[in-house]
Amino acid sequence: MDLTAFLVVESLNALSQAALLFFLGVGLTLIFGIMRIVNFAHGTFYMLGAFIGYSALRLSGSFWLALVLAPLAVGIVGALFELGILRRLYRRDESAFLMVTFGLALVLTEVIRLGWGPEALQVEPPSAFRSIVFVFDEPFPTYRLFLAGAGLLVALAIWQFLERTRLGLLIRATSQNAEMVHALGTDVRLVRSAVFGIGCGLAGMGGVLAAPLVTASIGMAAEMIIDAFVIVIIGGMGSFPGSLLGALLVAFVQVFGEYYLPDLALAFMYLVMLLVLVVRPGGLLGKEA
Amino acid sequence: MTRRPGVTRRRIATFALTGTALAMPWVRRVAAAEPIKIGMPLALTGPLGSVGQQLKRGGEMWAKVQNANGGLLGRPIQPLIEDTGGNPADAVRKSQEMVERDNCNILTGITLSSEALAVAPKLDEWNAIFLSSDNGDGKLTAGALVPNFFRANISAPMGARAVSLFLRQSKSQKFYAIGMDYAWGHSSVGVFESEIKHAKRDLVGTVFSPIGTKDFSTYIAKIRQSGAEALYIVMAGDDFNAFLAQAAQYKLPEKVQMLTEQMELTLLRAVGDAALGLIGSTRYAFTIDNPKNKEFVALWQKERGTVPDTFEGEQWQALQVLAAAIEKANSTDTKALHDALETITIDDIKGPVAMRKCDHQAVQNGFMVRAVKREDFSHPVPEIIATYPGEETTPPCNKETFEE
Amino acid sequence: MTLLTEALILGLFAMSLDLMVGYTRLVSFGHAAAYGFGAYACGWLLLHTSLPMLATIPIAALLAGVIAVGVAWVCTQATGVSFSMLTLALAQLLYAVAYKWTSVTGGSDGLAGIPRRPGPFGLDIFITRNGFYYLVLLVLSGAFLFCRALVRSPFGAVLGGIRENEAKTLALGYNTRAYKIAVVALSYALGAFAGALYAPFAGFANTELLFWLLSGQVLIMVIIGGAGTLIGPMIGAAFFLTVEHLLSNYTEAWALFFGLIFIAFVIFAPEGIWGLIRARFRRRTAVELDHRRGVAGAQ
Repeated sequence: MDLTAFLVVESLNALSQAALLFFLGVGLTLIFGIMRIVNFAHGTFYMLGAFIGYSALRLSGSFWLALVLAPLAVGIVGALFELGILRRLYRRDESAFLMVTFGLALVLTEVIRLGWGPEALQVEPPSAFRSIVFVFDEPFPTYRLFLAGAGLLVALAIWQFLERTRLGLLIRATSQNAEMVHALGTDVRLVRSAVFGIGCGLAGMGGVLAAPLVTASIGMAAEMIIDAFVIVIIGGMGSFPGSLLGALLVAFVQVFGEYYLPDLALAFMYLVMLLVLVVRPGGLLGKEA
Repeated sequence: MTRRPGVTRRRIATFALTGTALAMPWVRRVAAAEPIKIGMPLALTGPLGSVGQQLKRGGEMWAKVQNANGGLLGRPIQPLIEDTGGNPADAVRKSQEMVERDNCNILTGITLSSEALAVAPKLDEWNAIFLSSDNGDGKLTAGALVPNFFRANISAPMGARAVSLFLRQSKSQKFYAIGMDYAWGHSSVGVFESEIKHAKRDLVGTVFSPIGTKDFSTYIAKIRQSGAEALYIVMAGDDFNAFLAQAAQYKLPEKVQMLTEQMELTLLRAVGDAALGLIGSTRYAFTIDNPKNKEFVALWQKERGTVPDTFEGEQWQALQVLAAAIEKANSTDTKALHDALETITIDDIKGPVAMRKCDHQAVQNGFMVRAVKREDFSHPVPEIIATYPGEETTPPCNKETFEE
Repeated sequence: MTLLTEALILGLFAMSLDLMVGYTRLVSFGHAAAYGFGAYACGWLLLHTSLPMLATIPIAALLAGVIAVGVAWVCTQATGVSFSMLTLALAQLLYAVAYKWTSVTGGSDGLAGIPRRPGPFGLDIFITRNGFYYLVLLVLSGAFLFCRALVRSPFGAVLGGIRENEAKTLALGYNTRAYKIAVVALSYALGAFAGALYAPFAGFANTELLFWLLSGQVLIMVIIGGAGTLIGPMIGAAFFLTVEHLLSNYTEAWALFFGLIFIAFVIFAPEGIWGLIRARFRRRTAVELDHRRGVAGAQ
């Protein structure tokens, strides 16, 4: 395969990877931006999405239905958690959130294990995207193209949502000055619940989309949570465009790095993060350090 | 300056605490006896949880059947099952507890090789026997061998060897190898490399992926570009599932024959048709054709409504080995058991098994299987395509590779 | 018995983190690096040199402390969450190195068969199980007294200043960066001490000791026990270990109850276990009040 073909194919691979990372990262960054919560359970919501997606697929036979139901269900679970538990802790310092989300991660993982068993479960891609296309004579799965496309679509949707809708405006305002928003008459608590729910829902969507590639398995959360933190940190915590940038950066470095220097594959992500933090402690597009 | 109080609650508390702390070593536990206790500190949760669960089911089923037949030496079997989470520190702790608190001197079922490697050096101090049913690391019967360790299962080098023996019949000339980047991955790929050399074929490339790799697109691209005709895969768990699922999506199996060292039903269930055509070595398959296995499978189907998976079978065999040794020694005393195990032979669900005194490895058949569709199953099943006698698949004593 | 020894070792580990987290509000997500490094260093020395255990343990800790100065320098470039993520990044890099550098660290197999070598001069009272327990008890007590003296000293006061309001402390003329580097290096050195005790205790060292999960767990131990109290984290470590051990003996779903217990603690006992205990046995003497004001925890 010549160089152009190689670059194009590998870039497509990186884009599909970036899409999945983005789904996970955007929720995490939004949650942090509003609530200053480092959500340790974020990977677990992602995993929950995959498993609920599996069941929805089994029961209905439609991947698309699963793609709608799972994020919704996960978002509701997230919102309920925020309402029931997180709300009590806003007056405390960050360590409380750390602990509580860590506890939630443990509980949720175990609930999933008890509910669906310890084995990995197969999730088939939708029939529309099971085939391959030829990119420079190399077979490329259409599902990955779909992933890249879905990532782009959702990124656009979130952008428009933040820019043009009332809730989006409230979210942006609250992340800058919650007191003011409250003084202006909005119930900031509702904004927070909404953001936490949406953030978790996005993670859940990422889970369903990832499942055809990696199966729905108990190890998913642990395998992804660090990646999620890294891209959010690189992009800047609380920054929506930052999460997109972070996802793209990490995915491209990972893909091309793995190809040329597979021995360093384990370390790439951390090296990038280290570099970024030393040069710009707030992340590439972040505000504070 | 406040007056200094004499005996305060705080002081009493401090004294009491210090005194207790200093006295701890002398607090003893009461011992127990009678049933034959078999300690199984398993990884029931964590990444290899599904393997640990299989070992648990194998152990429990075996104990149930034995006890229904009056136990061993007239004593009931009592499996002690606890969860280590796949963590070597926990494995050591739980094993130690079983030995000390429960007076157990027989351990089996320790799931991860890293756990086994942590436990093995302590066996002498605990005066306990460890009969492996799952640990594949070649070191355990080579550089890390201790007198009280015995391996009843097929080791990783043996599995790799079976694959390469099979290869000699294949027409493929160019091979590529991918392994998970840790001890097992490296050792199995190493064995494969030397086998390829002896078979006078070409190994056009090797690559190792970090544990927890989710996206294999780059690796698949590399393999595809290498021009290899066959791919040897040394992977397990989530990584293996992801790799096979993605490889199928890139239509890699159409170009490259997929070979693996370890094939089990959990894999075939998790990836479904993406595994069709996969050829690999297996440590146990329900399709093994002999009367004892047929009986075992029938029992399993009756009791659990499904066929037994790889590690359920391995645990069963290990316990059969143990039972034979206990009966031969007419005792469960560590020394007697040790001596009996060193030369024990059985003929069971995998055929003939003979323990080797020099390195405590049970010499046994090697099996090659292919994942095929069968109508009565919703997922591919492992069909036996070759069986090799133990003498051909077991490395020389205390070695991890084969030199010819 | 060995559970208790392990609890004490973890107690030392947790207490070392408290210097950073509780007293200076530097939340580290990478403290496992200290522990794992200490374990590997001590283990390697015991396996490849003829140094006695009583020498390898402090050597490993010292080595860690020296290296930690560099680590601290890098990490203190940032503050807040970025600081935490830097500690995580460096810890994960160490993990990656240990994983790949098989010739030295044994890779994913780790180092096994680490001996407890007697000496110097044939001193072997600490080699036996009971003896080792006393060694750990000794080290922990010494470390506790040292840390307590430290936090009550002017150095500790500056740490408190940094915790409460770094800008103000800086304005008062203190080189807060230097103090932060010092406390981080010290914290890592003590954490490595714990790890160095672990290696001959368990007889092995492996990559799990460097993994971020352990960093998260020790942070939990500090918080659940009561940050900023030195004693709290030790209690937290014992609590964590005991509950995990007992629960996993009884049910496979132990992680579920474990998580619920955490959540309950956060909601109902924000000062941690030690906070609960102190609330019960509070003595209102001037000495107590002074002590509390000077040393008390996160709030």
